[in-house]
Amino acid sequence: MSVVPMPGTAAEIEPPVSLWRDAWHRLRRNKLAVFGLVVVVILAFTALFGPYLTPYDFLSQDLNSRNLAPSLSHLFGTDDLGRDVFSRVVYGTRTAFLVAIVVTFIAVVIGVTLGALAGFFGGWLDRIVMWLTDMTMSIPNLLLVVVINASLKSPITSWMESRYLATLNPVYRETIWVDFLLVFGSMALISWPPYARLVRAQVLSIRSRPYITAAQALGLTNRIILMRYVVPNALGPLIVAVSAGLGTAMVLESAFSFLGVGVNPPTPSWGNMISDGLRVWQHYPHLLAAPAAVLGLASVAFSFLGDGLNDALNPRGAK
Amino acid sequence: MMMASNIRPEPPAKTGERLLDVKGLTIEIETRTGPATIVDGIDLHVDKGETLGIVGESGCGKSLTMLSMMRLLPNKIKVTKGEANFAGRDLQKMSNSDLRKVRGGDVGFIFQDPMTSLNPVMRIGQQLAEPLIYHRGMSKAEARKRAGELLKLVGIPGAEDRLDAYPHELSGGMRQRVMIAIGLACNPQLLIADEPTTALDVTIQAQIVDLVKDLRDKLGMSVVWITHDLALIAGLVDRINVLYAGTVVEDAPVDALFANPSHPYTQGLLASIPKLSDERSTRLSSIGGTPPEPGRRPKGCPFAPRCPLAEAICHERVPSLEGLGQDGAHRVACFVAQRKLEAA
Ligand SMILES: Nc1ncnc2c1ncn2[C@@H]1O[C@H](COP(=O)(O)OP(=O)(O)OP(=O)(O)O)[C@@H](O)[C@H]1O
Ligand code: SF4
Ligand SMILES: [Mg+2]
Repeated sequence: MSVVPMPGTAAEIEPPVSLWRDAWHRLRRNKLAVFGLVVVVILAFTALFGPYLTPYDFLSQDLNSRNLAPSLSHLFGTDDLGRDVFSRVVYGTRTAFLVAIVVTFIAVVIGVTLGALAGFFGGWLDRIVMWLTDMTMSIPNLLLVVVINASLKSPITSWMESRYLATLNPVYRETIWVDFLLVFGSMALISWPPYARLVRAQVLSIRSRPYITAAQALGLTNRIILMRYVVPNALGPLIVAVSAGLGTAMVLESAFSFLGVGVNPPTPSWGNMISDGLRVWQHYPHLLAAPAAVLGLASVAFSFLGDGLNDALNPRGAK
Repeated sequence: MMMASNIRPEPPAKTGERLLDVKGLTIEIETRTGPATIVDGIDLHVDKGETLGIVGESGCGKSLTMLSMMRLLPNKIKVTKGEANFAGRDLQKMSNSDLRKVRGGDVGFIFQDPMTSLNPVMRIGQQLAEPLIYHRGMSKAEARKRAGELLKLVGIPGAEDRLDAYPHELSGGMRQRVMIAIGLACNPQLLIADEPTTALDVTIQAQIVDLVKDLRDKLGMSVVWITHDLALIAGLVDRINVLYAGTVVEDAPVDALFANPSHPYTQGLLASIPKLSDERSTRLSSIGGTPPEPGRRPKGCPFAPRCPLAEAICHERVPSLEGLGQDGAHRVACFVAQRKLEAA
C-alpha cells in the first residue's frame, strides 16, 4: 500500500517511551525529590497502618508514667496524662493525611471544574468565576475559618447533644465528626481558588495552541476537546500544585488545630499537640519537639516532591 | 457503516464543478482603534479534483482566509461579509453540528507547524483514530487498524509500531506525515494544506509535496496548497492565486502564470525565485517596501505604494479582477496589465 519512498534515518526510529516514564526517569535523578517521595510514602503508610502497629492506644492514659522522657518503651516519651506521644504522633499523621486529602480533593474538584469552564468558554462565565475567586481570596483564611467555627460549631454540637438527650439515639452522641466536617468544609472553601486560577491560566494558554485549532478543524466537539486535549495538557502543572497543596493543607490543619479552631482534643493532631507542648516546652521539650519535627518533615517532603515533579514534568512543555 | 479502508477507486476527472466557492469574504480584527480589515472581500474557488496554489507574502491573510471559511478564527477576528460555499452550502450560515461534520469529514486540514499542531500528550494512533471514530462511527479496533494503514499510506517506516508513539518521539518530517495522515483520515473531498513544509528542510519539503501529489491522484480529492514558495508547488498545482494584502491580485493556470505573469507583484515574486534553488528562496527581495498594515490600507490599488508601474488612477480606484485573453482563465487586478492586453 505504501506508494511513497520512505526516508527513514536511524535517528527517526527509536523505541517509544511514554511521557510519564520520561518524567519518572527525570524525577529519580533528583535527590531531593526522591527524599521527599520516600518521606511522603512512609508518612502515608504510617497514616494508613500506623494506628494498628503502635504499641499503645492514643487515648489510654497511664497516670503513673506522666511526662516521661523518650525511651525504648516510649519512643517519643509520654505526655502530662501519661499517653504515649509516639502513638499520638502516628495518629496525628492519620488526621493530617485525612484532612489534607479530603480538603485537597474537594478543592481540586471545585477549582478544576470552575477554572476549566472559565478558561475554555470565557465571557460571562469567566467573569463570574474570576469574581468568586478574587472574593474568596480576599477574605483572610484564618478569619473565615474562625467565623465558620464560631458560628456553626457550637450550635450544631449543642443541637446534637439535645437530640441525644431527647432520643438517646447513638447517632447524635459522637460529635467528633462535626469537627472534621467543619474543618474539611472551611478549609476546602479557602483552598480551591489557587487551583481555579492555575487551571484557568493553563486552559487559556492551551486554548490558543495550534493543536486545539487542529482538533477543531477535525470537527471534534467542545466536550471531547476539553476532556482529551485541554485537561490532559494542563495536568502536569496541576499535579505539581496538588503535591504542594497537600503539604500546605497539612500545615494549615495543624495551624488551625493549634489555634483551637481545627481538630479538637482528644483527637490527636500535630497542631493541638504542638499547642499543648508549647505550654510546657521548657520542662518537657519532647512534647513540643516530636510533633513539630514530624510536621516540619512532612511540609519539607511535600515541597521537595512538588519541586521535583515540576522539573520532571516541565521539560516537555518547554520543548 | 463504512469499511475500514474506503479509498475511492478512481480520481474524478476535473469537471469544472465548483467544490469550494468563496465570495466577497471580508475579515476584520478588533483593535484598540476599532475594527481593521485584514482580508478585503476575497473571491476564490476550487473545482472538484482541482489543486489550487495560494501564494503571497507573510501576513497577507492566507491562513486567516482558510480558517475563516471553517469558522476557526481566533477570538478577536471576525468575518463581517461574504460567503464560503462548500458543495453548494454556505459554511458561514451552517449550524455548528453540520459544520463539525464538514470539518475533518469533508475538508481535511494540514497545518503550518507540525511541532505544535499535534496534541503532545496523546499517542499518534489515538489522534488518528479520533476523527474516524467521530465521523465514520468506527469502533476503536477498526479505527486503530485504519490508523495503521494511514501511517503506511503516508510513508512512515514501521507504521504499526508508531501508533503508540507520542509526537515528541518523531522527527519534524515524520510529524508532518502524521498531520497529513490525520488530514486524510476520513477521505476528505478537499484537503487544505497551510504551508505544510515551511518548518521542514528542503529535501523533506520536496518529499512532502510528492507525497501529497501522489495521494491526491490516488484519492481523487481537491487540494488547496498555501505557500510562500512558488517554485516548490509549480509541479503540484493546476492553478495559482496570488494574494496581496487580503485580495487576489492574479488568478491563472500555473503554466500561464509562469509564462506570462501579469501583475507587477507576481512579476516581483517570480523574479525573486533563485534560479538554482538549493537554499530557501529569498523572499521578495526584488520588491521594496512592506505590505500595508491592517487598518492602513491605501485608498486605491493596495499594491500602489510599492508598485514600480503605479499611475495616478492606481491611487484613486481599486482595480477589479478581470479576465485576460479569450477564455478569461487568466485574471488580473491591475489597471496597467489590463490596458496592455486590450491594446495588444
Ligand atoms: N491571532 C491573531 N491576532 C492578531 N492578529 C492576527 C492574528 N492572526 C493573524 N493576524 C494578523 O492577520 C494578518 C493575516 O494573518 P495570516 O496568518 O492569515 O497571514 P498568512 O498569510 O497566513 O501569513 P504567514 O505566511 O506568515 O502564515 C496578519 O497581518 C497578522 O498580523
Ligand atoms: S493597479 Fe497600478 S498600482 Fe496596482 S499593481 Fe497595477 S500598476 Fe501597480
Ligand atoms: Mg499562515
